[in-house]
Amino acid sequence: MKLKDKVLVVEDEQNISNFISTVLTANDFDVLVAQTGAEAVSMITSHCPDLIILDLGLPDMDGINILKEVRSWSSLPIIVVSARTHEHDKVMALDLGADDYIEKPFGTSELLARIRTAIRHTRTPLDNNEIAQSGKFTVKNLTIDYDKHHVLIGDQDVHLTLNEFKIVALLGKYAGKVLTYDYLIKQIWGPKAKADNQILRVNMANIRRKIEKNPASPEYIFTEIGVGYRMLENDA
Amino acid sequence: MAKIPEKMRWIYDLLLTAAILAMATVLCTLLRRIDDGSGYVNLIFVLAVATISRWTEGYFWGIFSAVSGVLFVNYVFTYPYWEFNFTITGYPFTFLAMLTVSMMISAMNTQIKKQERLRIETEKEAVRANLLRAMSHDIRTPLTSIVGNTAAILENEDSFSSEQKRRLLEDVNEDAQWLIRMVENLLSITRMSGGQAKIEKDCEAAEEIVGVSVSKFTKRFPAIKVSIEVPDEVLMVPMDATLIRQVIMNLLENAAIHGGNVTQIRVCLSREGTNACFSVSDNGVGIPKERLSTIFNGGLSGVSHNNFDMKKNMGIGLSVCYTIVKAHDGTMTAENLDSGGACFRFYLPLEEGINSEIEG
Repeated sequence: MKLKDKVLVVEDEQNISNFISTVLTANDFDVLVAQTGAEAVSMITSHCPDLIILDLGLPDMDGINILKEVRSWSSLPIIVVSARTHEHDKVMALDLGADDYIEKPFGTSELLARIRTAIRHTRTPLDNNEIAQSGKFTVKNLTIDYDKHHVLIGDQDVHLTLNEFKIVALLGKYAGKVLTYDYLIKQIWGPKAKADNQILRVNMANIRRKIEKNPASPEYIFTEIGVGYRMLENDA
Repeated sequence: MAKIPEKMRWIYDLLLTAAILAMATVLCTLLRRIDDGSGYVNLIFVLAVATISRWTEGYFWGIFSAVSGVLFVNYVFTYPYWEFNFTITGYPFTFLAMLTVSMMISAMNTQIKKQERLRIETEKEAVRANLLRAMSHDIRTPLTSIVGNTAAILENEDSFSSEQKRRLLEDVNEDAQWLIRMVENLLSITRMSGGQAKIEKDCEAAEEIVGVSVSKFTKRFPAIKVSIEVPDEVLMVPMDATLIRQVIMNLLENAAIHGGNVTQIRVCLSREGTNACFSVSDNGVGIPKERLSTIFNGGLSGVSHNNFDMKKNMGIGLSVCYTIVKAHDGTMTAENLDSGGACFRFYLPLEEGINSEIEG
């Protein structure tokens, strides 16, 4: 018998946790449900789940605190559930180490896709095993050659500038994951760089003009409004 | 005059004051050629001071023009000409009269503006209340259907065929989707409820917001083909990205739901002077002529009618669009295309200076 992945759902609304656990059970996951933060913390240590779905608005404590606590001793994947009104929470959660976020209201297919991506990411030793094996990342027609420092569309070099390459390289390394604006800026322009998104936006616009057919309907690098960018993942 | 930005206001006031004083001077000079007396000089300057007090902000310019007017009249138009003479009888009286006129008018002016602001505030409040009432009223319809359909399935689990159950659940799903869209619009309104100043604007690349909106729309309406055109130049626009996404989403959904057999939508981003122009055009039946002039407030004026049905009314979504665009100091237009179909455009001011730098 196949070993099932264990998912802990931390959600105080019973209707929502019911719906999530029904869907997950039907899709071959073992599901645990915690309705309060305290319960969640004790279940994480006793059950060691493979993934946590964490609603940030809990009755007894801020979900962010659970995130911080878990990250202090473990890198197990955490998907944060947020309402649209709390954009800053989303960014904060990602910067504090959440693997992904999903906005309420969400559909089942979206939820399952996020869970599978997050679990797959923790199973691969480096952030992206493809790069570890060949020094290259390929998705559709796009190839990032980490050894030669260039990006190809088909077999054409698209001639990115140094910073543009750094951005694409970083997104490729964590393909499938949202990288926040803040994280990208700090990684590319250094920790002292101003948290000024403009230069990043302009670089991204230029990158898209080089790698996408239509910069406004990107195939490779997606915008997450108010949060960051995400590279298309080469999923099997 | 409400459209003048705060920083420019004092320059505008200064120019206006100078212009009116100059006009009064010219008028007096011309009149002196006809009439040697000087009775009209004071009157003309009092009129000038009154006009200045009325059309400038606060007390400063009125008092300033009263003082300079008195000195000027004394210097130029009273004997001895081109010399100050403070011993003329009635001089302090003229001065006091001008000062009083200016202060009274400035005070009145300030009060009028205060009342105007209060009136706008009340009006806004009324619009918001109407909107909420209309929305709550219309939220009941899909809720009734959701409760009814799900209850029917729960109570007749065994007697309904799976085909029947599926049909009912599809209705429930559609109604819930509609509720989501409605709530998103409500959230947009609450985001702005602090008034115009409260909108938090960040500089965003306009094409990204267009791209995200279209891809979200395509997920909901996969049957409709959407083409996007963006300029080579990167347009950076200060905006609340979530709200502008809501505007584009509303326009797209409006085309899909109310456009009548729309199969293609064209979203176009371009630069027009110092504005970014977003346009959404479809190949549907267009907007009925009688709706065209009131299309952006149509939903709100219709709110008072009892038979108001939001599902059939495109007003609410468009009113939200209009409110959001206006809060960004932008403008919005609607028209029918010659080729058939409707075209909505909205313009947002570009970030000054930055776009030209980026081009190079």
